[in-house]
Amino acid sequence: MDGFGIRIENMRKRYGEGDTAVDALKEVNMTVAPGEVVGLIGPSGSGKTTLLKCLGAVIEPTAGRMTLGDEVIYDDGWKIDDLKALRRDRIGFVFQAPYLIPFLDVTDNIALLPMLAGQPNAASRSRAKELLEALDVGHRARAQPSQLSGGEQQRVAIARALANQPPVILADEPTAPLDSERALAVIRILNRMARQYNTAVIVVTHDEKIIPTFKRIYHIRDGVTHEEAGEGREIGD
Amino acid sequence: MISLAGRDILHSWGKFVFTGVGLGLLIGATLTMAGVYRGMVDDAKVLLSNSGADIWVVQKDTLGPYAEPSSLRDDVYRAIRGMPGVARAANVTYLTMQVKQGGENASDVRVMVVGFEPGQPGEPGYLVAGRRITRSHYEAVADVRTGFELGERIRIRRQDYTVVGLTRRMVSSGGDPMVFIPLKDAQEAQFLKDNDAIVNERARTAANPGLNRPGVPGLLEAIQASQTTSRSVNAVLVQTQAGLSHEEVAEPIRRWKHLQAYTRAQMEEILVAKLIATSAKQIGMFLAILAVVSAAIVAFIIYTMTLGKIREIAVLKLIGTRSRTIAGMILQQALGLGFIGFVVGKISAALWAPFFPKYVLLEPGDALRGFIAVMIICTIASTLAIRAALKVDPATAIGG
Amino acid sequence: MKFDAVWVRRAGFGLLGIVLLAVFGYVVVRTGPFAPVRVTAVTVAEGSVAPALFGIGTVEARRAYLIGPTASGRVLRVAVDVGEAVKAGQLLAEMDPVDLDERVSALNASMARASSAVSAAEAQRQDAQARKQLATINAKRYVELGEKKFVSASVVEAKQQEQTSADAAVSAAEANLAGARQDIARLRAEREGLRQQRQNIRLVAPADGVVTARDAEPGSTVVAGQAVVRLVDPASLWIRVRFDQGRSAGLAVGLPAEIVLRANPAKPLPGKIVRLELLSDSVTEERIAQVAFDSMPAGITLGELAEVTLQLPATQPGPVLPNASLRQRGEQAGVWVLRAGVLQFVPVRLGSASLDGTVQVREGLQAGDRVIVHSEKELAADSRIKVVEAIVGKGA
Repeated sequence: MDGFGIRIENMRKRYGEGDTAVDALKEVNMTVAPGEVVGLIGPSGSGKTTLLKCLGAVIEPTAGRMTLGDEVIYDDGWKIDDLKALRRDRIGFVFQAPYLIPFLDVTDNIALLPMLAGQPNAASRSRAKELLEALDVGHRARAQPSQLSGGEQQRVAIARALANQPPVILADEPTAPLDSERALAVIRILNRMARQYNTAVIVVTHDEKIIPTFKRIYHIRDGVTHEEAGEGREIGD
Repeated sequence: MISLAGRDILHSWGKFVFTGVGLGLLIGATLTMAGVYRGMVDDAKVLLSNSGADIWVVQKDTLGPYAEPSSLRDDVYRAIRGMPGVARAANVTYLTMQVKQGGENASDVRVMVVGFEPGQPGEPGYLVAGRRITRSHYEAVADVRTGFELGERIRIRRQDYTVVGLTRRMVSSGGDPMVFIPLKDAQEAQFLKDNDAIVNERARTAANPGLNRPGVPGLLEAIQASQTTSRSVNAVLVQTQAGLSHEEVAEPIRRWKHLQAYTRAQMEEILVAKLIATSAKQIGMFLAILAVVSAAIVAFIIYTMTLGKIREIAVLKLIGTRSRTIAGMILQQALGLGFIGFVVGKISAALWAPFFPKYVLLEPGDALRGFIAVMIICTIASTLAIRAALKVDPATAIGG
Repeated sequence: MKFDAVWVRRAGFGLLGIVLLAVFGYVVVRTGPFAPVRVTAVTVAEGSVAPALFGIGTVEARRAYLIGPTASGRVLRVAVDVGEAVKAGQLLAEMDPVDLDERVSALNASMARASSAVSAAEAQRQDAQARKQLATINAKRYVELGEKKFVSASVVEAKQQEQTSADAAVSAAEANLAGARQDIARLRAEREGLRQQRQNIRLVAPADGVVTARDAEPGSTVVAGQAVVRLVDPASLWIRVRFDQGRSAGLAVGLPAEIVLRANPAKPLPGKIVRLELLSDSVTEERIAQVAFDSMPAGITLGELAEVTLQLPATQPGPVLPNASLRQRGEQAGVWVLRAGVLQFVPVRLGSASLDGTVQVREGLQAGDRVIVHSEKELAADSRIKVVEAIVGKGA
């Protein structure tokens, strides 16, 4: 998976038709390399969430081009049929809240994704264990989500995002409910995982605490992205 | 692949089991209702089976002896006994009445007093305790439902009868337990009045100048004696000779004896279609309502359970779970709920059925139909929840 | 915490499910049509039965008397009341004689007159005899005179004719007297008849007895043959018992009987059949027999209901069964026999039965066979059964 993890060119999104039409995204261009963590920041109403939904393949952009890994998945229209499989296998999601499935234990929360993709149960579970070990929550493998602390839950959520080794992870304000120390820990993990699993990570945030950690930042204002260099502050591993 | 439905049920099993038990009691009520109907039909059928008759001969133009009153002279049976194809024929009387039961603090029990001739059709086919009647008077065989025990005395009109045997499931079409007494006693019991009434009747006859004529000694006595004797029965039970169709035997009786003769099939039609038709419809309505209520409750429960998981479903959809998997999960839960409900319902119905005052017959066929109905109802009920789940936009998981 | 939560829940849930399914299975197998039919069974024993006949009767008097007048008339007085004991010949009641006494007086007068008539006839006869004697003497003398030719023959003939007339007059007078005497005899007989009638309106007891009814009071008119007073002989009370024709085999005069009167059901009284009526009641299909008490109990009332049990001699020993085990299948009576755990319907021919419900089997069974007595349901050859001590009550 050389080249880039994800690349977006001239993406536009228009809601509605005719007079009432609103252009949520006017011109979006992004490129994130595998192993790279970039920030996507912007004020409310700037089109941040719309962009995320387009990237997550839950809504359809109006125009543009999106390349995932080395495959063009969108070019003025979806190029692949099974968006669910796409979301399942090739995009990892980390949400503001962990959103773990409460009736599955930690392992199965993660193993569910490979299982949905058709992997055998044993392979899925060992993959989950491996991820949990990597994220230092291996000792909670059999715990129920409700028994975990907030930080542990978020790590499990990250593990789930990595479960199918997607080329890209979309993190939607993953640090919003956390204090700065924990927020930085999450970013640290994301960075580590991005490198370890060679995944492109887009962190949508407006959390001042973590913005300085990005090396590259995309600002979005009125539906237009602007690439900037970030501070790239070292936060250790 | 793990079972999402199973995991969810395990996770909230308390809620699930209690909901299932609640639903089960409702299903139990529904099954019992069906059992009440089956019990009524069965009451009618056992009444016919227990009489051991192939043909019922009754008064002309009546639906007797169960659905309408019927009265025949008690020597009619001799004429019928001589008809072709008749193997056995016996008089029988039926009288529904209240009898006192239980000595000191006596309570009334409603019974059907059957007068039968020992060894003839109309006799109870089998006993659960005691012996058959051996004396031609003042012995009785009672159904256990009457509450009488062996050796107890039953007072029917003016005579005391000793209970010598007990039967089971010997009931009238209305579900009243039967008491069997010798025919002659029953004839008296049916037509003989209480002592005061007899004395009054005698005085009334004596006061009639036409019946109490001077110069005609013995006339009054003769009239009074004729007033207190009964030579009537309600029906003649006929058994046909083997190898003859019942209709073949019944037809000449109708034609030449100027009596009504019903075959077993016709009698069943009268009892089931005419006598309990309204009750059956009543129960049918109730059953339909219960089914709708059960369906509504299952739908409601499943719908609420699904709405409680809407966020998880959004996440599941976002991470690429197929609609089929989600629908399957909800359907499996609904069916699981239905299954627990059915099992609890069947158990509860079987447990409380014996305490019903009338017979409740829980047929395995009904249970099977009930199970299928529950499963269909659960499937239909879950569609509402499935629709709601499928409408969940995975995008709602993103951006709050 | 390795085996926490999920496993505990899974185990708990599984246990609950197993319990529920076990109860469900029990319910399905133990109730409803799949449940085995509970039965009681008995081993056929060798024994003899003491058949007995049972009948219902009323106390009646063998000798009952209806006392009434032989001719229609009005009751003058009734001398006795219900319950009174009377002796033979005692006056019970009297009818109004109306004109009987007057008719006797009239006859007496007629007889007096007839006596006078007899006297008159006697006198006439004596007169005629006197005339006859004179005529005879005269005739004799004139015959002698005629022979001596003192008088003419015609005179002699005249005298002889006179004598013949006088003879005839005597005969007539004698006949007259006899007629008058016969008249008296007739009148006496008539008077005797009236006396008899006068006696007859006095109603007297023909035998010792007790008055059971007083059917007419003084002043009421009764027709000939209608009872004024009814009597019974209390020593002649017996019971008229009706036996069902179908269960009257063995009925015979002299059989000992056990009589239970309704008034005193706790104390059976001994008796025996003294008469068996040849005519049985075709309407009620009953035979009628009279049973007399061995010793007359006190306080017995006529018309009282009595239950009579006759003990017949015990039968020859043979296999016996409780009658509850008998089943009717079409026209065939039989029993369910349990052979090696399999039900089998065996037709039987029955012998005598006793009142306590034991029946002797003539054909079809041997002693030692296991026979189903009671069952919860109608049995069939493929019924699943469970033999229990008792289906209802204790042991059930």
